Amino acid sequence: MTKKSFPFLATGGELNNLEQPGYFSGYSTMAQRKNWEKATRDVITDRLEKVPPIKFFSESEAALMAAVIDRVLPQDDRTEERTIPILPILDERLYKNSLNGFRYEDMPPDRDAYRLAIKAIDEMALGRFQSSFVDLTVHQQELILKSLHNGKPDPENALWCTMPVHRFWAMLMEDCVTAYYSHPWAWDEIGFGGPAYPRGYMRLENGLPEPWEKNEQRYEWNAPVDSVSELAEDDAPPEHESLHGHGGSH
Amino acid sequence: MTHRLGPMQTLPSPMRKFADHDVVDYCIVGVGSAGGVLVQRLARAGFRVVGLEAGPFWDTEKDWVSDEKGSHELYWNDLRITGGTHPLALGANNSGKGVGGGSVHWAAFAPRFHPSDFRVYTEDGVGADWPMSYWDLKPYYELLEREIPVAGPAWFPWGDPHGHPYGPHPLGGVGDVLVRGCTKLGIRSVAGGPVAILSGSHGDRPHCIYRGFCLQGCKVGAKASTLITHVPDAITHGAEVRAHSMASRISLREDGRVEGVLYLDREGKEHFQRARAVIVSGYAIETPRLLLNSACPGHRHGLANSSGTLGKYLMAQAGNVVAGRFEELIRLYKAPPAHALSEEFYETDPHRGFARGFAVQTVGPLPVAFAKQMTAAMGAWGWGMRRVMMDYNHWATLGVLGEILPWEDNRVELADERDQHGLPVAKVTFNLHDNDKKLIQFGENKVMEIMRAAGAKQVVQESRFAHLVGAVRMGSDPSNSVVDRFGRTHDIPNLFVCDGSILPTQGSANPGLTIQALAARTADYLIKQGDAVFFSNRRDLTEPGIRYDLSPSYTRFKGNPRIA
Ligand SMILES: Cc1cc2nc3c(=O)[nH]c(=O)nc-3n(C[C@H](O)[C@H](O)[C@H](O)COP(=O)(O)OP(=O)(O)OC[C@H]3O[C@@H](n4cnc5c(N)ncnc54)[C@H](O)[C@@H]3O)c2cc1C
Ligand code: SF4
Repeated sequence: MTKKSFPFLATGGELNNLEQPGYFSGYSTMAQRKNWEKATRDVITDRLEKVPPIKFFSESEAALMAAVIDRVLPQDDRTEERTIPILPILDERLYKNSLNGFRYEDMPPDRDAYRLAIKAIDEMALGRFQSSFVDLTVHQQELILKSLHNGKPDPENALWCTMPVHRFWAMLMEDCVTAYYSHPWAWDEIGFGGPAYPRGYMRLENGLPEPWEKNEQRYEWNAPVDSVSELAEDDAPPEHESLHGHGGSH
Repeated sequence: MTHRLGPMQTLPSPMRKFADHDVVDYCIVGVGSAGGVLVQRLARAGFRVVGLEAGPFWDTEKDWVSDEKGSHELYWNDLRITGGTHPLALGANNSGKGVGGGSVHWAAFAPRFHPSDFRVYTEDGVGADWPMSYWDLKPYYELLEREIPVAGPAWFPWGDPHGHPYGPHPLGGVGDVLVRGCTKLGIRSVAGGPVAILSGSHGDRPHCIYRGFCLQGCKVGAKASTLITHVPDAITHGAEVRAHSMASRISLREDGRVEGVLYLDREGKEHFQRARAVIVSGYAIETPRLLLNSACPGHRHGLANSSGTLGKYLMAQAGNVVAGRFEELIRLYKAPPAHALSEEFYETDPHRGFARGFAVQTVGPLPVAFAKQMTAAMGAWGWGMRRVMMDYNHWATLGVLGEILPWEDNRVELADERDQHGLPVAKVTFNLHDNDKKLIQFGENKVMEIMRAAGAKQVVQESRFAHLVGAVRMGSDPSNSVVDRFGRTHDIPNLFVCDGSILPTQGSANPGLTIQALAARTADYLIKQGDAVFFSNRRDLTEPGIRYDLSPSYTRFKGNPRIA
């Protein structure tokens, strides 16, 4: 599903078919599944094995969203078999109209927001590069998305007057990171301990690994040199008085 | 099949069942933090009690998982509209749905309010005074700390200094960062609590296994929720807790007293539960919504709204999250997210140029929550998101918990949209005022300073709000408040409100313990008033005196240590 069209030369070497990116080589959360209780094991195993079919988006909408997601949460470094499904999870949420408990008064309902954005992004692609978004080069796609990230759609598009772009961007990011970082392969990548009931953790301090966790083995990992989605020092997000964190933490 | 409440406890069975045509003594709408305690106390005292709960009756073994995404159903996910200059995120950011309510997914920080919180107007000329004092609530704090029970240091130096019945928890990586940073700057901190999580087993509840999934519901039963601390005892003593029952309207008799509650069952079928008195405990959004949705002739602007303040003076706390990246590994997912704090900046300090203050607390976002924070705090996306997340184990996160004052324009109203039952949904409006903005700015900077002092190489922050309370505030003047000091509405003698929505101010302590302590006190009041609540219009405003014989089992023989 991922689009491997970058010149994949990162400064640390070539980003190629990795079974498991990240610094915790050999660590596997799923290898611990026998130590989890049934309800959790079932939920996580289903997540891994049962990818829901696309039901909400039309074929062309799905194609465009897939291309957007490939840039918003790129996985070109992962092998095809180890690519984490994101679009199907988003599609399922919208198909079920599963809400997160609220809607901003200046936002349309989630489903309409995605349909509007798809239209706007494709019009932007045509306006700026005379081509549909899916057919753009990775770099061109990134430029358009980066402008949404910055809250300044380039080129401007009238559809963004009907919906604040920074809110759509926040929703898109949340949907993507929810799908990606709830997947056990992502836990392996970042070294998260995963489910821990009934066993629990015993080494709480100093970042020490549990017996089944792995120590970090860092190496130089760099995004493709020509990507514009890498973190930049001066790239603090545009401040929006009206935009705040959505997660519960305390 | 046995219905499990943690690995050792089962739901008492059979549960008493009332028929719709039975007139019960108390119908309680919402069995959450406050509702759970009320149902338990009133049942123990021998009243006929029904608790209506919109969400499910959780079986902790079957329904809960050690997984962020899989825990979505714990929250109130139904539509609400949010607006204002600083619109509040709702859903997972604040309220629960299901027996136990928000106590199912709270982090369980359990600090008390300070004595000054009850006199904010008198001391600072802003906000409001409570129609009661800290000292009225103190015995209930102590009792609830033994009931749920709270673990923490034997000496907690702020507010009214006190100790905690259960010993403190071991320090996790994030707590270590908090203590290190504070110590460098000469700021006092405490670790291992106060938190409503067991550091030793308690009756049929095992102690904490440090798995860090507190916000996903504690399958272990170590973290207190009314689902496991009070509801089982309520059922044993003859209460009925009716799940999947969404109250849609409270109806009045011709004499202006409450007659009962209309509610919808899981299939959407309407029922009417008759009751001699009704207590609404539905959370700071759903409580005003239900009262507004119950407007009727004589109460055109919502029940008990003769003052026009129903829905107003809604509060949240500033909940900014400051994240710091360390060279060494932290592994912030281990240990309960809530386990160390400082209240050094809680009280007003005239040098700071604003009234009231804030607390500093540990938070422990799991990967999805942390990634969302990085979206906001760093603008991370694309490869940048992948990169920052690969360093997840190098980050520590601390929270600001800042007091935001009660303002009339922060409010809950009804929106034009309707929910799946056809009921108008709540519209929440939230604006920050000058004092709030200054306080947040100061708090944010201070916590970033602590993070740097602890050794973080990179420090970022996300602005956020937490803990909605207010909107049905208590007060002694019926012209600017909705309920009296015991939660009785000024307008309708057998209609009460008891939950976070009655708080006049909320300090910078997490509100859960205070909400439960207030519920226990209101219950004592109702028990003392006896049948008068059902028939009389007389309003007795004297303190009831605390009852020590109505606590759940295993409370006896626990103490509140006092070291100085
Ligand atoms: C992520 C997170 C972490 C938190 N951490 C802490 C913490 O560490 N410490 C702390 O003190 N607080 C914490 N809180 C806040 C705490 O959870 C709430 O303040 C508290 O639970 C509110 O209690 P309540 O009784 O007002 O409402 P709730 O506990 O929310 O109970 C209300 C109940 O009423 C039900 N209900 C609502 N309307 C209806 C209706 N019409 N019919 C039937 N039932 C209805 C709901 O389903 C719910 O079960 C946290 C909150 C969140 C979101
Ligand atoms: S950390 Fe402790 S209290 Fe929190 S979920 Fe795990 S066992 Fe329960």
